[in-house]
Amino acid sequence: MKALLLATSLLGVLTAAAYEDPFLPEWIGKERERLEDAGWIAGGILLSDEPLPEDGALELEGPTADELVGDSQLPPEIPEKFLSAYFAERPKAFLIDPQGLLSPQDFRDRLKFLNDHSNDTAVDLYVYLIGGKQDIPGQVREEELIERFFSEGRPAAIVFYYFGVPQRSEVYLSPSVTDAVPPAEQQRALASSVMQAFEKLDPAEQLEAFLVQMSIRVYWMERMLGGKPSEQPFAAATIVKKSAKELPRSASMVLVQAKFTKYRLPAGIGLAAMAMGALVHYARQRHQKTYFPVLEVEPRLGGTHAAGIGAVISFASVTLPPAAQRDQVPEYLRRA
Amino acid sequence: MKCPRCVQRIHRAAVACPHCGFTLADADLRFGAAEVRMSQLTDRAGILRRGERERIGKALERVTLHFPQIFVAIYTGALGEVANIRQFGFWLLNRSAFEDVPVHLPNEAGILITIDPESKAAGMIFGYLLDPFLEEVDTFECLSRAHAYWLEGQYAEGLMRLLRHLEKILKKRSRQARRDPESFEKKVMPAQKLGHRVQILRGGNRQEAAVEVQK
Repeated sequence: MKALLLATSLLGVLTAAAYEDPFLPEWIGKERERLEDAGWIAGGILLSDEPLPEDGALELEGPTADELVGDSQLPPEIPEKFLSAYFAERPKAFLIDPQGLLSPQDFRDRLKFLNDHSNDTAVDLYVYLIGGKQDIPGQVREEELIERFFSEGRPAAIVFYYFGVPQRSEVYLSPSVTDAVPPAEQQRALASSVMQAFEKLDPAEQLEAFLVQMSIRVYWMERMLGGKPSEQPFAAATIVKKSAKELPRSASMVLVQAKFTKYRLPAGIGLAAMAMGALVHYARQRHQKTYFPVLEVEPRLGGTHAAGIGAVISFASVTLPPAAQRDQVPEYLRRA
Repeated sequence: MKCPRCVQRIHRAAVACPHCGFTLADADLRFGAAEVRMSQLTDRAGILRRGERERIGKALERVTLHFPQIFVAIYTGALGEVANIRQFGFWLLNRSAFEDVPVHLPNEAGILITIDPESKAAGMIFGYLLDPFLEEVDTFECLSRAHAYWLEGQYAEGLMRLLRHLEKILKKRSRQARRDPESFEKKVMPAQKLGHRVQILRGGNRQEAAVEVQK
């Protein structure tokens, strides 16, 4: 045991000797002076024993009074006259823009997109369009708003979109969807939509890109819901149609709608008559009786009732077609 | 029209096959001359389940409902090695008395489907009422519809397909008969009338020959 301790101590001493710090390099001749004359020695400050020079504090100008006041300024709130149009009731259209931030054409295009989205998916997408430098008044609490307006009806995703500043956008889900879609997924949807919006420069185009991406993400949220059909299908879509009436439409659209309204009743009657006719025809076909003319046939081969020899077929081989298994061989050529 | 034994074409109203001399009496010698009592669906081979029998029974009723003049009967049974299914069908439709077929429908109005699951063969035969309207190829088409199912032992499904196709063919033939009844009448025209036409033709030829001789 003692021998083992001695050997271990000896090994420790030898190892310590082997791991001594290496010698630092030394200047050869007038190498140092030559470099100092050149003006700069690389890493010289580290190798020198002289104390480090103290950094002088940067002397910068402080913020002006105006700048300090500006920092404390909050973005202006949505004008009061628009508040009722925004938040008084559940929106009648999927795009809420009482301030007219979008041009009429852009508004129609975006609204059409949201209507199409609603028709294609079970989760509607509502977009509140707010000015980029505006803010929602403090008395309006978004969560409470969602709870009040979107607890009933089809599930919905509600976006507060700040026009021209997509990164300020917020997304909320109606209570029926909130449990199924985790908050992280909502944030991912929002982030990817904002990223898509940032690829455009024009605020209207930003909104378009944002909505396209958000629509895709809402579709994935719907998949997370398990594709459950909503209890009140197309309820919101009906409302949207009502509001779409208020929008200016092209003359051809008006004409088509007028014609449709005019001929709706006759067309309905016509369709019903056609359906009834088809039913009667089907019923008649089903109970139709078919007769053959009775022709006098002379008996043959001594048969009093029949001598009409039909085909004989064999179904012994699964490889041969029926035609190849048709029996045409007379009896006397058969093997007994 | 073909002979059940030699499968050669025979002329209408042939008392016996001109090729092999076959008559119903020959079949009687083989299968018996007595009347056979059977039902419209006789599953002697036991290849149909109870539910399937009911299903096929309804299909047979439907045929009679759509075609009030005719009925379809089905016989399944093992005929043995030497028995010929074509002759057996011919004999059975002539000698059977169907118990559950309405009295106003004689065997002339019947279509008999015979299946021998042992020798794996099936045949169809029809009464004189349908003689002008059905061809052998029609019955082959019907049997072909069932062929794939019978290969797999699905006799009921095969029969259902067969009956469905048979109804289609019968409807088609009925329409043709309404449109062009003469073509079907010609098929069964008595030999005397045809003979009369031949006599006229030949007489005409003779008269022409006599005129030439006189010249």
